[in-house]
Amino acid sequence: MRFGGHEPITALEDVSFDIDDGEFVAIVGPSGCGKSTLLRIIAGLLEPTAGSVTVRGKTPSEARRDVEFGFVFQSPVLFPWLRVLGNVLLPDRILGKRNPLAVADAERHARGLLRDVGLEGFEEYYPEQISGGMQQRVALARALSYGASTLLMDEPFGALDEFTRDNLNIQLLEVWQQTRSTVLFVTHSLQEAIFLSDRVVVLSPRPGSVMRIADVPFGRPRDLTIRYRPDFAALNGELRELLQIDAGAAGDGEVAPP
Amino acid sequence: MTGAGAGTRRRSKWRTYVPAILLFLAALGIWELWVVARDVPTYLLPRVSEIGIELGEQGWSLFRHLRWTMLEAVLGFLAGSTAAFLAAVIFVHMRAVEGALFPWAIVLQTIPIVAIAPLLTIWFGFTLVPKVVIAAIICFFPVLVNTARGLRSISAQAVELMSVLSARKTAVFWRLRVPSSLPYVFAGLRIASTLAVIGAIVAEFTGADRGIGFVIIQASYRLDTKRLFAGLVLSSAGGIVFFNLIGLLERLTVRWPGARLQES
Repeated sequence: MRFGGHEPITALEDVSFDIDDGEFVAIVGPSGCGKSTLLRIIAGLLEPTAGSVTVRGKTPSEARRDVEFGFVFQSPVLFPWLRVLGNVLLPDRILGKRNPLAVADAERHARGLLRDVGLEGFEEYYPEQISGGMQQRVALARALSYGASTLLMDEPFGALDEFTRDNLNIQLLEVWQQTRSTVLFVTHSLQEAIFLSDRVVVLSPRPGSVMRIADVPFGRPRDLTIRYRPDFAALNGELRELLQIDAGAAGDGEVAPP
Repeated sequence: MTGAGAGTRRRSKWRTYVPAILLFLAALGIWELWVVARDVPTYLLPRVSEIGIELGEQGWSLFRHLRWTMLEAVLGFLAGSTAAFLAAVIFVHMRAVEGALFPWAIVLQTIPIVAIAPLLTIWFGFTLVPKVVIAAIICFFPVLVNTARGLRSISAQAVELMSVLSARKTAVFWRLRVPSSLPYVFAGLRIASTLAVIGAIVAEFTGADRGIGFVIIQASYRLDTKRLFAGLVLSSAGGIVFFNLIGLLERLTVRWPGARLQES
């Protein structure tokens, strides 16, 4: 995959993997390895210069037209002129008849989602009036509001403090347990990736390529204490080493020279 | 918000006005005393009280002139702002058109309206038309620039969100671009509201049989400074009222917190 612009940059190279329906896959890699680019290619927002992506037998743009995707960005991207409830209802308003989730009462459905993400009582607040963590919950509820089969999450909790992030991780798993949509979760936190996912895809620095696809052996439902288990630490350490070695080899300034 | 909270805010708002009001009254007082003490002739500088008396005696006739000027200003404001809004919409969607037309907008902006006004009066006579056109021209540029900026003030991610939902261009326009642009549009409209009154008055200078500009020109020919000042006071009052009406409209339209670009 190459990016347009002044000097074409090869962002991704040799990225190939399959994801099952209903699987939770985390993608980790150093910054600038093309994680976000990969999500955008899958969502049909960017065209790859080479290679192909198939989403449930469709091309990304076909899948996008069929409203297969929910997208959660790094920042909440809420519309400040809409209240919390209005933001969650936005997809339904835009999709109209194309909304794949045929609910009789969209507003009731939206209120239920807000309850699920712990925002009951905040429906009539404006985004400006709630915290960053709460805003990101609204963004999550919005992405879930129209029954998309595939949830693409681009470092959604990267800007939040640790405690808020832990909270949201648990809540995400709870909500996901109900919907069981396919999730692609981009993060630069290995711990978050392992805690959340069924499989972790580790990408190398630019041009990003798949270094390793690790199965996460923990059952569900999970709680935060699994992070203290030795096998969790072992997997975490193993993947961290993989990332650090490669970052050093690529001469990435992030790792100090010997 | 509770009623008590609103009350406190209103009271503190009054408190911020108090110094301004006191300074204003003090300035008027000094003016009055200075004119009396130095025995300044009325045709050079009338006393404040004389202007007040003039306003009281001639109030109704002056007000009719003001009403006419405001009609010209408001019509010009509406025409100029509407044209500017449409132009901004076209500019934002068609870069090539913007490239071709924006230089014309700048040229229009740089020609002094005092120079265009007599020409328009030659073409359209002592009618309403040249005043409305001048007011429209003077409103056009600030509204155009601010609206175009506002329509573009959307994040790349918001656009991606709309793409993920396969939103149509019209949906992107009405649900994203227009609401994002409103604070900018109103910033432009507020500038335009005061300019429109000035534009109408300047146009009246070049040929009119009524309006505040006509009053001021007539008074200046006769060295009737009392009347001239009364005209100035009224034109300023008209501008202030218009400006605040736009501000009120903004508060009614742009209601979400953190939206307004600058507090008036």
